[in-house]
Amino acid sequence: MRSRTVATAVIGMLVVLAAALAPAPARADEPCQSPYIKRLTGQEEFVYVWTLGVEGLGDGSDKLVTVDVRPGSRTYGKVVHTVSVGGRHEAHHGGFTDDRRYFWAGGLDTSKIFIFDVHTDPARPRLVKTIDDFVQATDGIVGPHTFYAVPGRMLIAALSNSRDHGGPTAIVEYTNDGRYVATHWIPIEGRTRGAVVEKAADGYGYDVRVLPRRNVMLTSSFTGWSNYMMDFGQMLKDAEAMKRFGQTVVVWDFHTRTPRKVLHVPGAPLEIRFANLPGHDYAFTTTALTSKIWLIHADAQGEWRAREVADIGDPAKVPLPVAITLSADDRTLWVDSFMDGTTRAYDVSNPFAPRQIYEKKIGSQLNMVSQSWDGKRLYFTSSVLARWDKKGAENEQYLKAYDWDGTTLQERFALDFTALGLGRAHLMRFGSAALYR
Amino acid sequence: MLGTLTIRTAVAAALAAVLAASAPAGAHEPGPRPPAGVGPRFDYEPPVPGTYRLPPVKPAADGGVLDARGARRRLREVMAGRLALLSFIYTGCHDATGCPLATAVLHQVRAAVARDRELARRLTLVTVSFDLARDTPPALARYAEPLRRVRGPRWEFLVPSSGRELDSILTAYGQSIERAADGTLSHVLRVYLIDARGQIRNVYGVDFLDPRLVLADLRTLLLEERALTRDEAALARIAAPPLGLPPVPVPADTPPTAARIALGRKLFFDRRLSRNGTMSCAMCHLPQQGFTNRELARPVGVEGRSLRRNAPTLLNVAYVRQLFHDGREVSLETQALAPMLDPREMANPSPGAILARLRALPDYDSLFEQAFGAGPSLDRVGQALASYQRTLLAGNSPFDRWYFGGQATALSAEAREGFRLFTGRAGCASCHTIEARFALFTDGAFHDTGVAWARAGAGESVIAVELVPGFVVPMARQVIESVGEPEAPDLGRHEVTLDPDDRWRFRTPSLRNVALTGPYMHDGSLSSLRDVVEFYNRGGAPHPGQDPRVRPLGLDARETAALVAFLESLTGETVDP
Repeated sequence: MRSRTVATAVIGMLVVLAAALAPAPARADEPCQSPYIKRLTGQEEFVYVWTLGVEGLGDGSDKLVTVDVRPGSRTYGKVVHTVSVGGRHEAHHGGFTDDRRYFWAGGLDTSKIFIFDVHTDPARPRLVKTIDDFVQATDGIVGPHTFYAVPGRMLIAALSNSRDHGGPTAIVEYTNDGRYVATHWIPIEGRTRGAVVEKAADGYGYDVRVLPRRNVMLTSSFTGWSNYMMDFGQMLKDAEAMKRFGQTVVVWDFHTRTPRKVLHVPGAPLEIRFANLPGHDYAFTTTALTSKIWLIHADAQGEWRAREVADIGDPAKVPLPVAITLSADDRTLWVDSFMDGTTRAYDVSNPFAPRQIYEKKIGSQLNMVSQSWDGKRLYFTSSVLARWDKKGAENEQYLKAYDWDGTTLQERFALDFTALGLGRAHLMRFGSAALYR
Repeated sequence: MLGTLTIRTAVAAALAAVLAASAPAGAHEPGPRPPAGVGPRFDYEPPVPGTYRLPPVKPAADGGVLDARGARRRLREVMAGRLALLSFIYTGCHDATGCPLATAVLHQVRAAVARDRELARRLTLVTVSFDLARDTPPALARYAEPLRRVRGPRWEFLVPSSGRELDSILTAYGQSIERAADGTLSHVLRVYLIDARGQIRNVYGVDFLDPRLVLADLRTLLLEERALTRDEAALARIAAPPLGLPPVPVPADTPPTAARIALGRKLFFDRRLSRNGTMSCAMCHLPQQGFTNRELARPVGVEGRSLRRNAPTLLNVAYVRQLFHDGREVSLETQALAPMLDPREMANPSPGAILARLRALPDYDSLFEQAFGAGPSLDRVGQALASYQRTLLAGNSPFDRWYFGGQATALSAEAREGFRLFTGRAGCASCHTIEARFALFTDGAFHDTGVAWARAGAGESVIAVELVPGFVVPMARQVIESVGEPEAPDLGRHEVTLDPDDRWRFRTPSLRNVALTGPYMHDGSLSSLRDVVEFYNRGGAPHPGQDPRVRPLGLDARETAALVAFLESLTGETVDP
């Protein structure tokens, strides 16, 4: 186990003891979280769903929804708790601190960050702090997106800026107790900070991931506030807006937070997932607009390169791949696409030649996927962005749970987030009381 | 340099230590350090200049004085138009935390300022003695001589010209002096920071007479002066608009002033003035994008709500008599409130809520009073924003220099050809008018060009979407509509007048700076100037009600390019936002 920051010495000893007793896991849990995070290697007990409020539905507020997934529990597959944060903030992604005691959840619109205590009672997270001066503190960064734990700190990959609500943005660092540390702007034309630029440096951001053994950090690129907040249909018809999507993956020196190389990956590369096993010096990403799987890999000389390795469905039909998860053994990559509501499994044993082995339509629209560390349980949610989700009857909002036996997905339960008056289901994270014993 | 100082008392050593601390510092420490060994220790980082305000305390009083050469002066005249640091001392003072400290700190600040050319030009140090009996002009000259020998900004040594002047000055500055039986004087040490307009902006006592702090304050005032200069320049622009623009109409009852412009600018850029803190005027009218949004056909408001029409540029908005694309507003003063209250734009819940927010924000303290002599009100919010927006004047374009300025070479041959078409065969100038002494390129009237009418139709069933450069995908309208809210037809002027003749009509926009303000038309549906010229060349979207001047023009490719070149010559000089 890696070292971690624990609040008190006693708890620290307990955690070390618990970790020592836990089975030696593969280096991943639910989809490839930060390797610096305390891992949940067994059965997840709760799924936390960071949910967007919908005007006119229930209290209309963004909320953290807790679903009981303990096998045999009386409330299995049911919502057991919700915490509303008050108002709509474009709830999107979130992440645990390295000690997994707190869950940070961001609002892409108001740039607020909500910090939930998930360790005191994992069945009932509590909102303990709200960071509401993110834009001022960070030199005008807007849209905190990925929350990625590093020891004692959170790396936050953002999407936009307050100057023009466009795409140029930064990676921001905060301490676990919510204090601003630094802003690292993504390289952009005229401010590349010494990075080698393959084709263009757009300054856009989305995800951030670290491969500690190579001291490499990768960031991907989406689009700014104006686009991610805009009605999706309106945007598709707006030729100017469509010109403002990311086309880069940036390779950074993680330790010094210095950009080294700006790779050309056109079509809005979103989530990044590093492989887990030693010697697997590569990551996958998918491009939302061009519907491709890209491999970001170190070549024989150690040089980082980007290569397009597979199509996702028929790119001409714009399936819009949005979320991915890589199994702990680096063999199976799940790719969710929004427009066709379909998840696809790829055999990526040869990362240069992914081969689709399975597909299933999960709903009329589909966004996030999370898998248990053993890859046997998968969870799916429906919402991509408040104004991008489908309209009318196709606007299904759900959390669905499945078992995966290597060949077929079998549904275990489904929750209708509209019927339950909750909202739009987005990011999922797993909780368990076992983590804190 | 230290050895040349002749200080009469035992404090000399301490003062020498202080002065040593101000000797040229290492490359990484350009500023002075706190005095070591004398006075208080300072254990904090001084604030960053310009990040805070120094509210005016009160006017710095005047008084008759003699300088070190014995000349009669007025205190106010000594400091006039400059930043000043003023301290009261008497040269015979022996208190290490008193007058010698004040002089030492002034000396330190002066040495540091000597390296800052702009501040050095703007600063005067003033030392006033209150010991009329002993600090005669020759005595002051002796005291000043070693201090003045060090290079630095002006340092005046003064003594009141009479006992009456002394009492009046001390009273005005709140300096009380006690004279002991043995003739020693005692007083509470105070150093005053005075701005160029003669306002006291800070008073330092011994506990925070930190030269780093004084320096930060001086630089803050300098930055403030620069900001003022920007407002004054903006005010001057209104009084004398750039070449090609007519006089700016201003309301007689609330003419723009520098303070109103400054307040309006602050309001314009303040995201806190929207319901959820995400939107300001400048989020849709981006200064760096021609005061419109070049990256969107139609802007996106609070919580991503769709707006119906393209954000119009605010450049030269001072001349627009009927505001918004449909002309529903008649003054900038009242227009300003509409976006603040529109639930799709800044979405404030009520007019009163805007005022309550402004009253609660400490950085607006006194700004309304300075601008209007009264606190925030809806009228004054509108007046401040209008004052600011009237400064956004962009003229003196290549066209202006050619047409109004008589510079034959200011316009290319191609653009001149475009001008001939514009005013001739293409007929553009019949709506985008040019006057004898100025040109706004608009008749201010409403016309049906066919854009809105065509958009209200069924449209194509397949729409080409360029997902990434070069990757164009035909998408079924049905698919796009599955992820988009339906759009209501935009009836334009008709929505204001309810006159059937006004259906699909929109106000003629100015063409000034048009190369900066794409995408074009009331709905941003045309990306480039070439697209616009080609649209008119095709004759719009013929239908009953279309303005008869919109008709096929028969322009060839060369003529189209010439018209575009002419339109590109209408870009004025950059406006400092």
